[in-house]
Amino acid sequence: MNVPTVHPVPDVPAVPVVLQAKNLVKRYGHVTALDGMDFELRADEVLAVIGDNGAGKSTLIKALAIVPDAGEIRLDGRLVRFGSPIEARLAGVECCYQDLAVAPAMTVAENLFLGRELRRAGFLGRCLRMLDRQKMIDVAGARMADLQVGIHSMTQTVETLSGGQRQCVAVARAAAFARHVVILDEPTAALGVKEGNMVLELIRRVRDKGLPVVLISHNMPHVFEIADRIHVARLGRRAAVLNPKKLSMSDAVAVMTGATAPENIPAEWQA
Amino acid sequence: MRIAVLGPFLALIAACLFFATQSDRFLTGENLSLVLQQAVVVGIIAIGQTLVILTAGIDLSCGMVMALGGIIMSKFAVDFGLTAPIAMAAGISVAALFGLTNGLLVTTVKLPPFIVTLGTMNIAFAITQLYSHSQTVTDLPLWMTALGDTFSLAGTKVAWGTLLMLALYGLTWFVLSETAAGRHVYAVGNNPEAARLVGIPTRKVLLGVYALAGVFYGFASLLSVGRTGVGDPNAGQTENLDAITAVVLGGTSLFGGRGVVIGSLIGTLVVGVFRNGLTLMGVSSIYQVLVTGILVILAVTADQLSRKGAR
Repeated sequence: MNVPTVHPVPDVPAVPVVLQAKNLVKRYGHVTALDGMDFELRADEVLAVIGDNGAGKSTLIKALAIVPDAGEIRLDGRLVRFGSPIEARLAGVECCYQDLAVAPAMTVAENLFLGRELRRAGFLGRCLRMLDRQKMIDVAGARMADLQVGIHSMTQTVETLSGGQRQCVAVARAAAFARHVVILDEPTAALGVKEGNMVLELIRRVRDKGLPVVLISHNMPHVFEIADRIHVARLGRRAAVLNPKKLSMSDAVAVMTGATAPENIPAEWQA
Repeated sequence: MRIAVLGPFLALIAACLFFATQSDRFLTGENLSLVLQQAVVVGIIAIGQTLVILTAGIDLSCGMVMALGGIIMSKFAVDFGLTAPIAMAAGISVAALFGLTNGLLVTTVKLPPFIVTLGTMNIAFAITQLYSHSQTVTDLPLWMTALGDTFSLAGTKVAWGTLLMLALYGLTWFVLSETAAGRHVYAVGNNPEAARLVGIPTRKVLLGVYALAGVFYGFASLLSVGRTGVGDPNAGQTENLDAITAVVLGGTSLFGGRGVVIGSLIGTLVVGVFRNGLTLMGVSSIYQVLVTGILVILAVTADQLSRKGAR
């Protein structure tokens, strides 16, 4: 499926690049959502992706997981082309979509294993296709404890959880199964302050476990709290990659809206 | 899950107690056996209906498809002299084909299930009437009515059809709760978008559910023909609403993704007990329709309120 071409990545940074995209183009009818977007995610970082509506944030993420019209994507240096979110998942890239991620009437364990259920060994599993509930509950419990998500009962339904906990289940599901990259689309959008912080904490722990995270967010305080670098999307291109420690939120907004033109961005802001 | 069927179960007990006080004949073995025999057709339709409702759909065509299946199998046996098993298979296949058509219209044309099945309900009814010339088909081969026969168990008559129904409930329960395919039915009803994004083939699941529902309606035709001993073009008319009522009374949410199939069995018995009890009390059948209508509205109201409570 993937052609492993070994091209040396030009001017290799100190930290290896996990996910890289070059010159991505994605059109929807007459609308060009991505117009030559570049993208680079390093290992061990939380990379925030910000941008106005229509700047290409969501399309960028979709294009990473769904075939773009042009451009190339490399995962760990290998050229990849994912035909569907499932293929991306099999390659170790897990996405967590805003508000859409969980089945409320199903249990935490069932949600964690949705679409990749474990079957029993032997006749019961192979011939009767019977699920191994206990194993799924055990594994789910272990993964959740590992990520220190404060949910202890894997058999309670997700609808009995608070909004923040629900989102933690969704994020934990992505993190628990990702081998390379976790992509989170607006994970804190619908949450209050305390609940949002709960999810941010979880994202930090995911990164500290060594999984790079792409965080798409509108929420500037959250972005500045957690991101190591900020990818600014504008008009379907990458306007800049910023260092949140070197500039203010209003500076970032200025780049995002185009008030500060890309050529006027001070060198020390860039990351 | 146990809690989910507790409400319907209590309703069943309450209904039984009420009718026991109203008629001496209600609690006799003979009568309860009759209730069970009368419940099989609705009960098996309700299994298919449960599958559809779990995916947040509805199948209004269930009773009419059942009637069509019955006419097909009896006409094929009588007119073409087909042996009973082949005629029965033909009837079930036609019912399955109707289910498949419902599924295709819902998944590929993306029409609302309500509209699709409202259409196929009328189509199935019309074909039934046209093909049978609105005439009852009689002189069926013996084999065809075997499922309506009874055997004696501890002095009570039990129909073979009742056993078939219980077996189908057991099988469906197993698949729904113990296999990935079954859990995917719940996931599709619960949050179709999330199900799609985690890689569940939601369209295949829906298509499978509607087609399988058709197969169940086909089995119900078998039972209907077996019990009455004739191919009846006017079958299925009360069963249509009764089956939906049974599923909703059994605690399966019309909003999808919640419910257990065993609940539908209890719901079927509630509907059966009401019909039987009211008949014993000498209440005219039109009042039974009235009561069924009220029951379904009560059940949906309870569903709606409990959903609000869960949020």
